[in-house]
Amino acid sequence: MTSQDVSHRAKVTLPKTAYGLIAILVLLVVASVTTPGFARVDNIFVVIRAASLTGIVAIGMSYITISGNLFALSASALGALLAVLFALLTAALGFAAGLFLTLGIAVLCGLAQSVAISLIGNPIITTLAFGTVFRGLAALFSGNSILRIESEAALWLGTARPLGIPTQSWAFIIAAILSWFIIRHFKIGREIVLCGANPKAAVASGLRVGLVTAIACAALSIGVAVMAIMTVSQFSQAKADLFMGYDFDYIAAVLVGGIALRGGKGTPLQAALGAVLIALLQNFMLLHGLSAGVRMTIVGLLVIASISLFHILQGRGR
Amino acid sequence: MLRMSGIVKSYGPTRVLEDVDLAVEAGEVMALMGENGAGKSTLVKILAGIEPADGGTISIDGAAVSIRSPGHAQAAGIGYVAQELSIVESLSVAENVFLGDETLGFFRSAASLARRARPYLERVGLDHIDPLSLAEEHSVAERQLVEIARLLSRKARIAILDEPTAALSETEIVRVKAAVRTLAAEGCAIIYVTHRMPEVFDLTQKVTVLRNGKSFPAVETAGLSIGDLIEAMLGRQLGQMFPPRAAHAGEEILRLDACRASGLKAPVSLSLRKGEILALAGQVGSGAGAVLRMLAGVTPIQSGSVTLEGGAYAPSGIAGSIARKVLYCSDDRKRDGIFAVRSVPENLSAPALSAVSRFGLLSPALEGEHVTRIARQFGLGERFLGRLAGNLSGGNQQKVALGKWIGLDPKILLVEEPTRGVDVGARSEIYSHLRKLADEGLSIIFASSDTQEVLGLADRIASFFHGELVRICDADDVTAESLTRDVTRASEAA
Ligand SMILES: Nc1ncnc2c1ncn2[C@@H]1O[C@H](COP(=O)(O)OP(=O)(O)OP(=O)(O)O)[C@@H](O)[C@H]1O
Ligand SMILES: [Mg+2]
Repeated sequence: MTSQDVSHRAKVTLPKTAYGLIAILVLLVVASVTTPGFARVDNIFVVIRAASLTGIVAIGMSYITISGNLFALSASALGALLAVLFALLTAALGFAAGLFLTLGIAVLCGLAQSVAISLIGNPIITTLAFGTVFRGLAALFSGNSILRIESEAALWLGTARPLGIPTQSWAFIIAAILSWFIIRHFKIGREIVLCGANPKAAVASGLRVGLVTAIACAALSIGVAVMAIMTVSQFSQAKADLFMGYDFDYIAAVLVGGIALRGGKGTPLQAALGAVLIALLQNFMLLHGLSAGVRMTIVGLLVIASISLFHILQGRGR
Repeated sequence: MLRMSGIVKSYGPTRVLEDVDLAVEAGEVMALMGENGAGKSTLVKILAGIEPADGGTISIDGAAVSIRSPGHAQAAGIGYVAQELSIVESLSVAENVFLGDETLGFFRSAASLARRARPYLERVGLDHIDPLSLAEEHSVAERQLVEIARLLSRKARIAILDEPTAALSETEIVRVKAAVRTLAAEGCAIIYVTHRMPEVFDLTQKVTVLRNGKSFPAVETAGLSIGDLIEAMLGRQLGQMFPPRAAHAGEEILRLDACRASGLKAPVSLSLRKGEILALAGQVGSGAGAVLRMLAGVTPIQSGSVTLEGGAYAPSGIAGSIARKVLYCSDDRKRDGIFAVRSVPENLSAPALSAVSRFGLLSPALEGEHVTRIARQFGLGERFLGRLAGNLSGGNQQKVALGKWIGLDPKILLVEEPTRGVDVGARSEIYSHLRKLADEGLSIIFASSDTQEVLGLADRIASFFHGELVRICDADDVTAESLTRDVTRASEAA
């Protein structure tokens, strides 16, 4: 064993959010320099909108991961169901009723999943099954046709830019800050973190493990509902195959943000950054005309690279 | 045979080992001692290739070696039993014995593995268990013995045992000691980490003490007194190990009438008074722990009745017992005692979240106050508060696991093995602290397989053997001999 001087080694340890921010900045600079059209105003809005909606769901997903329940695979399907229901309800009862009923139904769908997860014990399998049910119901309710809505309020919600910033991004920013605050400063937030860190010790300490799973599932469902409502509002239409294939993006955002798969670590802020990073990357690749297959491969590689990076950081830092 | 010199190791900014030397000869058992957090485990992990050293040299038989991975260590003939269990619960006992053994080849039938595992299991006194049964079916003590069987199967030239007996009771310790003696007689050099004083004098020829990141030159055990050894470890003398007993106990607070639960072969009746410390003495599997688990609501009360402060008490689950202020600290801190990936303060406030929050919001001021109070009472220094619980030394983890309950102002504290893996200094602190709590009106029941601890701390002692309550006596009427006889039923066996 050779002697080596420790004092020469870098001792700075960055918070995990810093890595996300750095990566986003690097990508922004590279993209604007190399890609004509990237820095154009309308493209920027496209990116921001896409990142915001994915980000809101990723923030919801981070509750699931942090609470020790890995991932939910039902988010995109639930999104489609809620979009269809929102369109139907808005057409029948008006925008306000549609909005609140959809949010209520979302929470119920979340609670149903949490009960099943507590009983079955495996969140992946459970939500996979629920996802199929949701997608099926979406097809059933929509009659496999495109549902249109006409509502001034909905159009405003989908397309307005208060203070120059799209509504989607307002929702994203509010969700990120609120979730960070909940996880860090609320009692239930601490319970979510501790249950994820060690469920057995959580039970032994008298923490409400069932409630934690319920809150996590409900949080994700609310995030999904916001995405569904805003998407339908933006385009004034809904159909059963909305958001098909998006599930990996939500999960990728959580992982790229550096939230530990095992649970008990990380904040929703990291998922938010991860989502922005992935949305930027997707847009950058689209402008370069990369095919869907190439884009998928690259996002997948990014996830693998970031998981490995955080794994190494963890081994060294601690 | 083995020589480590000038070993240096830091975790981030904290320097754990500054300049440590250690030398062991073939056939010699070397005790490695020091306070909790002194760096004993860190040192042996370096030797076992689990942690890299930042500096220093290691040589075996005079030749310098470089150990960069557990594989290297194995190739160099180094066998290692870790402080925290490394048993894979979902594998069979036999598979665990040969875990990571590359000489075995991939395709071994389960039966042949079992056949080859049996002699090693027998040597550690596990002949009664089926090598094909799953590891998760066995107690902590049995799993620990499986680890030692694994070490034996490796035919190591240098064996490291990091607190192998912390989770064991007297009879099993005897087996471990016998196994270690055989290894040494076969010419193996042995490094033996322990906090149990009797073992040091019984088993080891030399002692190396670590303190403040430095090692003291090894000394012969034979010429050493317990007092000298403790002073070397702590840097000060230790007064009384055990606090004086309670002057008088209050009225009855808890009463068990003919209770049965899983792990008990006969109904148990006993009572507990306010401010009293009651010991349930027994070897592993004696039923002492089963009584605590029943009272904590972990296992249901199958028959009989329990009365708490005059009212019926039948907790459904842990939350039920916590609601009645009956708190339970299990003996497996890694499994359900600590949140390893969270910080020490978050661990200490975990059961008391309601008390440290206002309107659903955590109050940093209340939480800080809560944490500092526990940390002070349990001698957890300021410098530990910023760490993750999982990065604490074993003994300090135990303080966190036990300390987190104190903040809830319990009525009854149920503790399984209160000082497992805790150094002598901290142990006496924990004892005096438990006694102080009892003097303030807390009733404590602890289960322990450590005779000294039972005799020193308890007001009354209930001894258990094979799932049955043997007898309950005042601590004054019990001697080490009579207690050992009760918990092993030596008289009946003879
Ligand atoms: N991964 C880690 N990161 C940071 N600090 C660590 C890590 N592992 C151990 N430490 C610190 O190093 C010090 C030495 O720990 P070590 O486990 O070697 O103590 P020990 O002598 O074995 O104590 P015990 O008797 O309690 O087992 C402790 O202060 C501990 O908190
Ligand atoms: Mg140790």
